[in-house]
Amino acid sequence: MLEALYAVFVGPFRDMIGAPSFLIEVVIGGLAAGLMYSLVALGFVLIYKASGVFNFAQGVMVLFAALTLVGLMERGVPMLVALALTMAVMVALAFVIERVVLRPLVNQEQIILFMATIGLNFFLEGFGELVWGSNVKKLDVGIPDSSFTVAGVQVNRLELTAAITAAVLVAIMAVFFQRTRVGRALRAVADDHEAALSIGIPLNTIWITVWSAAGLVAIVAGIMWGAKSGVQFSLSLIALKALPVLILGGFTSVPGAVAGGLIIGLGEKLAEVYWGPLVGGAIENWFAYVLALAFLLFRPQGLFGERIIERV
Amino acid sequence: MFYREAGQFKSTYASDQAIFPIRQDRIVVAAALVAAVVGVPLVADEYWLQAVLIPFLIYSFAALGLNLLTGYAGQVSLGTGGFMAVGAYSAFKITSAFPGVPIVLVFLLAGLVTALVGVLFGIPSLRIKGFYLAVATLAAQFFLLWLFNKVAWFTDYASSGTITAPPRAVLGVMVTGPEATASVRYLTALILVGFFAIIAKNLVRGRVGRSWMAIRDRDIAAEIIGVRPLRTKLLAFAISSFYCGVAGAEYVFLYLGSAETLAFDINVSFLVLFMVIIGGLGSILGSFLGAAFIVTVPIFLTNAPHLIGVPLPVALQKQIELMVFGGLIILFLIVEPNGLARLWQICKEKLRLWPFPY
Amino acid sequence: MRSAEAPPTPLLQVDGVSVRFGAVHALDSVSLEIPRGEVVAIIGPNGAGKTTLLNVISGFYHPTGGHIFFEGRDRTHLRPYDVAALGIARTFQNVALFKGMSVLDNIMTGRLLKMRGSFLLDALYWGPAMKQELEHRAFVEQIIDFLEIEAIRKTPAGRLPYGLQKRVELARALAAEPKLLLLDEPMAGMNVEEKEDMCRFVLGVNDEFDTTIALIEHDMSVVMDISDRVIALDYGRKIADGRPDEVRADQAVIDAYLGVAHA
Repeated sequence: MLEALYAVFVGPFRDMIGAPSFLIEVVIGGLAAGLMYSLVALGFVLIYKASGVFNFAQGVMVLFAALTLVGLMERGVPMLVALALTMAVMVALAFVIERVVLRPLVNQEQIILFMATIGLNFFLEGFGELVWGSNVKKLDVGIPDSSFTVAGVQVNRLELTAAITAAVLVAIMAVFFQRTRVGRALRAVADDHEAALSIGIPLNTIWITVWSAAGLVAIVAGIMWGAKSGVQFSLSLIALKALPVLILGGFTSVPGAVAGGLIIGLGEKLAEVYWGPLVGGAIENWFAYVLALAFLLFRPQGLFGERIIERV
Repeated sequence: MFYREAGQFKSTYASDQAIFPIRQDRIVVAAALVAAVVGVPLVADEYWLQAVLIPFLIYSFAALGLNLLTGYAGQVSLGTGGFMAVGAYSAFKITSAFPGVPIVLVFLLAGLVTALVGVLFGIPSLRIKGFYLAVATLAAQFFLLWLFNKVAWFTDYASSGTITAPPRAVLGVMVTGPEATASVRYLTALILVGFFAIIAKNLVRGRVGRSWMAIRDRDIAAEIIGVRPLRTKLLAFAISSFYCGVAGAEYVFLYLGSAETLAFDINVSFLVLFMVIIGGLGSILGSFLGAAFIVTVPIFLTNAPHLIGVPLPVALQKQIELMVFGGLIILFLIVEPNGLARLWQICKEKLRLWPFPY
Repeated sequence: MRSAEAPPTPLLQVDGVSVRFGAVHALDSVSLEIPRGEVVAIIGPNGAGKTTLLNVISGFYHPTGGHIFFEGRDRTHLRPYDVAALGIARTFQNVALFKGMSVLDNIMTGRLLKMRGSFLLDALYWGPAMKQELEHRAFVEQIIDFLEIEAIRKTPAGRLPYGLQKRVELARALAAEPKLLLLDEPMAGMNVEEKEDMCRFVLGVNDEFDTTIALIEHDMSVVMDISDRVIALDYGRKIADGRPDEVRADQAVIDAYLGVAHA
């Protein structure tokens, strides 16, 4: 009994302290993975913040973007052109989604919209496979997946690029939402569709803009994930992992998505490496969710979310 | 003109509160029951029983459970697969440890175990609402499946990591195992789901159902009436999990024969949620309609191309299935967010007026 | 200002109750009494703390200071469902009906605390469970009769017009056979006819069922008509308490709320 307690509460920490440079590598790896989650979560936040819709299909949009990019590049299209074309495709997708899915469902309850995005998820999965085929593809964006050493610690080039990209994206989005007129309009729309309509906010344009922006974020996320682990269908399951990230960070907070992603990524990695061996591994499957659950019990609105005040 | 209620006056509250107040409904339901119990085993072939009817009954059971929790009590749950797994694995452990216990009782006991687990994972529901609760149930889903995967005790240390339904008989007739015929398994599933559907209906039209709906619609106002939120929500989790647990046990014992945790993964949770939403949230009938829909669409999609003479390669078929599935869901949500049950109601209302348009 | 006869223990006593939200004093040391069997109107400008007062009595907020006594016993820190068990029912400013249920079901939920049941019997809808359900149905039908809403009993509550929704909410509150009924702006948004009906019902409830009523109301003619006593609040403080005509003439109330008719 005492042994078990020791193994859980003391052992892993001793392991951590015992090999500090390994610990730092694990931490960096965790943070990097966390940033990748954040990138996906950012797409969610964008759409949720601006249209109140929880877009379950964000994961598959990441996949779709990556597939399109790779597919074009495989056919010999130069990278920058392929990028531009993919962007165009994502915008077109945004148009179609707005027309076919969002407009008919305006002002329905959240759960209905959520289910619609799940339907969208299935549809895009089938469609993507149909168009681009189902084998794993390698995505080469010119950044080698190699490491260099800094102060005795290994740093991966790709992860570093992902980190910087994410940081830049976050900064841009934060400024956009807080400072610009369009950003304010977006927040109004997220709050109440009908009210926003009634003061003349052009709902359709806004939605297309936002979903296109989410598409852009999806492209970036797709590139990062695809370059790291190849473009394959498990990418669409990332949507699920983004949920705990959003829980921690709040559904409407851009910095929250980043913070949440970092916490989840780090927590997951540490848990897997140091506690995983105790129970046979694969803690990563559920750790993020349980962590989110624990958080929710203490702070139902997440770290950065807005408190929902119900008026009696 | 066949569906007129004229002349059917209710002189007591009892007849007004009956499940099927309209005489024509009673006739139809009685006929359907006779057809289901007697007719189907006589007429249906192995394929229909095994591929369509049995899974339909089992999924209906699970959809009933989820509908009680999400449709009536308003607690969104994405953990259905996990709870079904609890039912399946509990049933397996109970029957391998006590082979003498009648298998139906084993199912019910498995349901009870699942109810307890459900209550445990339902405790956060007091603080956490809506979407956030859905994520909490995801924790249940992933954790439970990981548990059954990792801890070999659950599979009785089978090297394949699967649980297999041992052969069991009821009154001398094989109900589970390779000897059990599809008809017997069908009837077992039918009786179980029929019985528990009636129980569910009784619950929702009485005190319990009203407390649930009160919590769902306005939990603050519900409190002022005297509803105790935690108790009510936990009861919902308990009963819903019971249903899902029994369904899970049936899933392995009456349908698959053997299974591993993959059979209960997140896709199952989504599938059952679809059934409930398409069938109609907050409707007992809806659970059945939704299950029927979801079970038959893939069958239809698999067979339709053959029927019109256009054979498709398997991969393409799968892709089209996904696309049609997703498209149908979106279409449904746009056309009738209240589900098939509401469409059915509208049908009945139109039928009342037939042959007049309005 | 007390009424002429010395009353027995008042049904409800609010004693120095304060409710603070951060720096905002929603209620500031408010003391009042509601005698049994009376109709008491609570008036005041928006934000005066009227709804907060009802919320504190219902148990949604706990006072940061002071006590609440119901039937002579300290009931300050109860949860709403315990308050309901004491015999206090209320309606809400933004009608809080259960939109997904029919009118009949909504009112039946009001009977919840009167329903004793075994879960097992409920599940089978057998014998005692069914008998009880029907008894409660009979009682609820009396209320439906009284409030003249027979025609809409099977309609989903969400589909009703506002005025009828308010009536259904009143029915639901009555179903609990409360000793004290708290009404938050029961006539808001109604036209003259509907208000007359509502007044009739409120007085009827007070008369026939001997229910004590406290209501928040903005329409002064209604207040004058049906209340035995008026309490005025402003900025979380009580500024007047007495018979309707006394309060109407009170200078503080005129300054804060009523204003003076211009010539």
